[in-house]
Amino acid sequence: MNNDIPVRELGPQGEVMAHAVDACVHCGFCLPACPTYALLGDEMDSPRGRIVLMKEVLEGGLDLLDAAPHLDRCLGCQACVTACPSGVPYGELITSFRGWSEPQRRRSPLDRAKRYAILKALPAPRLFSVAARVGQYAKPLAPALPAALRGPLDLLPEHVPAMQPSPRVTPAQGPRRGRVAFLTGCAQQALAPNFNAATLRVLARNGIEVVIPEGQGCCGAAALHTGARDEALRLVRANLDAFNPDDYDAVLSNAAGCGAGLKEYPVILHGLHDEARAKAFAAKVQDISEYLAGLVREGGLEPFMPASRSLKVAYHDACHLAHAQGVRAAPRELLRMIPGVSIVEIPEGDLCCGSAGTYNLEQPELAGQLGARKAGHILSTAPDLIASGNIGCHTQIQSHVRRQGSAAPVMHTVEVLDRAYRGEL
Amino acid sequence: MTPEKLALTTTSPAPRPRSEGGTDSALAAELTRSLGPKKVLSNLSERLSYRYDAIQFGVTPLAVVLPESTEDVIATVRAARRAGVSIVGRGAASGLSGGAAPMREAVVISFTRMTKLEIFPERREAVAQPGVITLAVTEAARPHGLIYPPDPASFRTSTIGGNLGENAGGPLCFKYGVTGDYVTALDFVDAEGELHSLTRDAYDLAGLLIGSEGTLGLITSATLRLTPPPRFTRTLMAHFAEVGQVAEAVSAAIAAGAVPGKLEFMDGACTNAVEDYLHLGLPRDAGAVLLVDTDGDDLDTVEEERALVEAACLQAGGQVRRAASDAESAALWQARRSVSPALGRIRPQRMNEDIVVPRSVLPEVVREIRALGDASGLKLVQFGHIGDGNLHPNILFDPRRESEEAVHLLAHQIALVAIRHGGVLSGEHGIGTMKREFMRDAVDPETMTALRNVKRALDPAGALNPGKILPDPEDA
Ligand SMILES: Cc1cc2nc3c(=O)[nH]c(=O)nc-3n(C[C@H](O)[C@H](O)[C@H](O)COP(=O)(O)OP(=O)(O)OC[C@H]3O[C@@H](n4cnc5c(N)ncnc54)[C@H](O)[C@@H]3O)c2cc1C
Ligand code: SF4
Ligand code: SF4
Repeated sequence: MNNDIPVRELGPQGEVMAHAVDACVHCGFCLPACPTYALLGDEMDSPRGRIVLMKEVLEGGLDLLDAAPHLDRCLGCQACVTACPSGVPYGELITSFRGWSEPQRRRSPLDRAKRYAILKALPAPRLFSVAARVGQYAKPLAPALPAALRGPLDLLPEHVPAMQPSPRVTPAQGPRRGRVAFLTGCAQQALAPNFNAATLRVLARNGIEVVIPEGQGCCGAAALHTGARDEALRLVRANLDAFNPDDYDAVLSNAAGCGAGLKEYPVILHGLHDEARAKAFAAKVQDISEYLAGLVREGGLEPFMPASRSLKVAYHDACHLAHAQGVRAAPRELLRMIPGVSIVEIPEGDLCCGSAGTYNLEQPELAGQLGARKAGHILSTAPDLIASGNIGCHTQIQSHVRRQGSAAPVMHTVEVLDRAYRGEL
Repeated sequence: MTPEKLALTTTSPAPRPRSEGGTDSALAAELTRSLGPKKVLSNLSERLSYRYDAIQFGVTPLAVVLPESTEDVIATVRAARRAGVSIVGRGAASGLSGGAAPMREAVVISFTRMTKLEIFPERREAVAQPGVITLAVTEAARPHGLIYPPDPASFRTSTIGGNLGENAGGPLCFKYGVTGDYVTALDFVDAEGELHSLTRDAYDLAGLLIGSEGTLGLITSATLRLTPPPRFTRTLMAHFAEVGQVAEAVSAAIAAGAVPGKLEFMDGACTNAVEDYLHLGLPRDAGAVLLVDTDGDDLDTVEEERALVEAACLQAGGQVRRAASDAESAALWQARRSVSPALGRIRPQRMNEDIVVPRSVLPEVVREIRALGDASGLKLVQFGHIGDGNLHPNILFDPRRESEEAVHLLAHQIALVAIRHGGVLSGEHGIGTMKREFMRDAVDPETMTALRNVKRALDPAGALNPGKILPDPEDA
C-alpha cells in the first residue's frame, strides 16, 4: 500500500517496515486467520488493520499511544503470514515496529516491573527456576490475586521440576551420522528439562553427536518481541559468538519460539555489521522435527517400539513452528512412524492457543479465551495424548485441558518419540 | 488532479481530518448515548481503520457503529439523518471497487457483528444477517446435505451483506449463477430509517437493492436459497502458449455442449505470482492457464463433459492435466482464489477491472486487451471467470515509478473495448468509485436519468454511500 514512511529517519529497520507496508494490498485475506479478529471482530484488531495503524504511526498521522492497545493485542502468531498471498512479512513488521516504538512508550510501574522481571528471568534458567518454584506456591492463591499477577502464574506448569545439568557433548550411539549444535533454551530448561533430555537421547540413538556450545544463551526472541531491542541484540550477538555454524551439520532447537527467533537473526541484524554472519547461522538452524524428518529421508530412523495400545494423538501446530517456520508435515510424519499411533486434526487448528510468549502476562483475558477455545477443540477429538513442539503451547494447553476436566497427557513431540524408543508409550 | 483521477488512485492520500471537530464528536456522543459505548467507535485509531476497502482509501469516518441488531441500524440511520451526515455500509471491506471506502465524512456502519444464521433444511433456505461470512453459510448447510453456491474468491472473508451489495459471483456462477439468483427475500433499512421486507414479486425492489452497493438502503437480513451439492466433480487444468487460445478453447467447449461447473483462467503473470505463494508446480512458462470443473450427479456425464473440454483444449493448442485427487483439485482452486492478492507480489498497487463480454468475442477481446497492455508499457495481467465472459484485466503499478494518468488511460481504453464488443463494466465487483466515470460511456443519458430518479426516490438527500456508482451530473 502507498505510504510516506520516512525510511531514512528510521534506519535499517525502517526499510524492513516500509517494505512490509508496501507489499500489503489490503485485500483482507488474512482477517479470518487472525485470533484477535476472531475474538474481537473489529478492523483495528486484525492484521490488515494493524498494518494500517503502524503505517499511520510511522508516517506521523497517528499517535503511538492511540494505536498501541491494538498493536499490543497482536500475539505475533504469524497466522496472517501463512494466509497472505501477497507475501507481506508481517512478522518482520511488527517485531521491527515494537523495537522502534518501545523506547517511546510510557508504561505503568507495575507493567514495567513485570516486563523487567520476565526479561531478566527468561534468559537465566537458574533464576527462572527459583522464581517458578516460588510462583508454584502462589498458584493456589491465584483466584484471590489481581489479574495482572494471575497471568504469570498461568504460565507455570503443574510441577516445576528440579534443574538438570546438560552434558556439553552427547556422543552418537553406533556409527556417527552427523554432528549438531543444540540450543538448550532458557525457560524451558527450568520448566521442562525432560524435553532436552529426550532430544539428546533421540538424536544420539540415531547416530547424531550433539554439542551444547558454551556461552550460548537465550535466543532473544522474547526480548525482541516485547520491543527490548538492545537487550535482544546483546543476546543475538552472544549466540553468534557461541555457535560457529561451520562446525555443525545443523543448529537445532526444540522450542518453536526459539527456533523461529534464531531463524530471524538476519532480519534483526539487517543493515548491521554482523548481517552476513547471521545469515550463515540462520541457514543452519532447524527445528528438531525438521532435522529428524531429514534423517528419515537420508537412511531412516532407528525403529520405534509399538505403542502398548492404539493411541490417538492430537497434534497441535505451534504458531512459531507452523506459521513462522512453515514446519507442519515433519512432526506428523515422525509421530505416524510409531506403530499404533494415529494423528487427529484439531478443528480450527491454525488458531493460536493464546500462549504466545509473554501474552499471558500482557493480555491475560484474551489469552484465557483463546486457551479455552483451543482446549475445547482439542478435547472434541477425544485424544489419548496431546503433542506439540513448543513449551509455551505446552503449558497453556495443559492448564486449559485440565481446567476442562481432561487428564490426557500433554507432551513434546520428541518426548513421544523418546518414549516410543523406550517402550514406554 | 481531477476528481476522477483521484478516485482511481487506489490508495489516494484522501484528506485526513486530524482534528476531532464539533459535529463529529457530537454525533458520536449521541450514538454512544443511544447504543452504548461498545457499539460505537470514536477514537482516531478506530475510525482510521474504517476508511478503506480492498482497493481504495477514503475519508476517515466521523464515527463507526458496529450494530448488533436491526434496531441498532435504524437508530444509527436516524441519528445520522438528524445530523445531516451520510452513511456508508461496510461488510468485510474486501470490495474491489471502492464501495466501502467513504468518499466524504460519514458514519460507517460495519455489519461484522450481525452474524445470526439459521438454516431451514426443509425449505432449503438460510436466513442470514448481513455480517455472516459467505463460507459460513455453506458450512452450516452442509450437514443438512445442502450448500450455498455463490463463491467469490473472497468467500472466507467477505460477508453476505457485501455480497448482496456487489451482487458477487465466483467460479461457480457459470453454471449456478450469482448471489442475486439465490436471494428469495430481504429486509432493508432505508435512508429515513424505515425497515422494509421484500420478496421477489411485484416490482422486484429486492433485485434493485442487490448490487446497489449500499446506495439505496442497508440490508439487515436475507433469505438465501440452498441447493444439494453435485455428487461428482472432476477437475482439469490446461495450459496454453497464448491467452487468446484459452478463450478459443472455452468457446469451443461450450459450443460442443459442455456445461462445466467452473471455467476460470489466469495468464502467465498471474500463474507465476500464485506459484511464488503456493509452490504447487504450476506451469511457469505458460502464457495462460485454464481451470475447469465439470460436475453433476451422473458420473458418466461429468466425465463426458470433461472429455469435451479436454478435446477443445487440445484442439486450441493446449496441454491438459487432469487432477488426480480431491487434494490436487483443492490445491488448484486455492491457486485460482489467490490470484488477486498474489498480484501484490508484482506491484504494490493495481487498478482492477471487471468487464463482461459476450463469449463469442472472447478471443478477440483478450487479445486486444493484451495488445493495449503491451503498448502501454504498464504491467497488465488478465484472469477471470472466462466461462461467463467475465474478465478481470488488472493494471499493476507502482505510483512512485509509474504515471497514474497512464493507468487511468489504459483502464479507460479497456472499458471501451468491452463496451465496443457489446459488454458491460462490471460483472461482480461493482462500479463503486473506480468505474464511476466510465458509466458515462456505458449508459446513455436517458437511462442515466432513470437511474438517478431511482436513487432519488429511495434516498432523496443522497445520504447513502455518496460518490458511488453514478457520476456527478455534468452540470453540477
Ligand atoms: C482477493 C479478492 C478476491 C475477490 N474475488 C471476488 C470474486 O471472485 N467475485 C466477486 O464477486 N467478488 C470478489 N471480490 C470482491 C469482494 O470480495 C466482493 O465484492 C464481496 O462481495 C464484498 O463483500 P464485503 O463483505 O467485503 O463487502 P464490502 O467490501 O465491505 O462492501 C461492498 C459493498 O457493499 C455495501 N454493503 C456492505 N454491507 C451492506 C449491507 N448490509 N447493506 C447494503 N450494502 C452493504 C458496501 O457499502 C459496499 O458498497 C474479491 C475481493 C478480493 C479482495
Ligand atoms: S492478506 Fe496480506 S495483502 Fe491482504 S490485507 Fe492481509 S497482509 Fe495485506
Ligand atoms: S500475528 Fe497473529 S494476532 Fe498478530 S495480526 Fe497476525 S494473525 Fe493476528
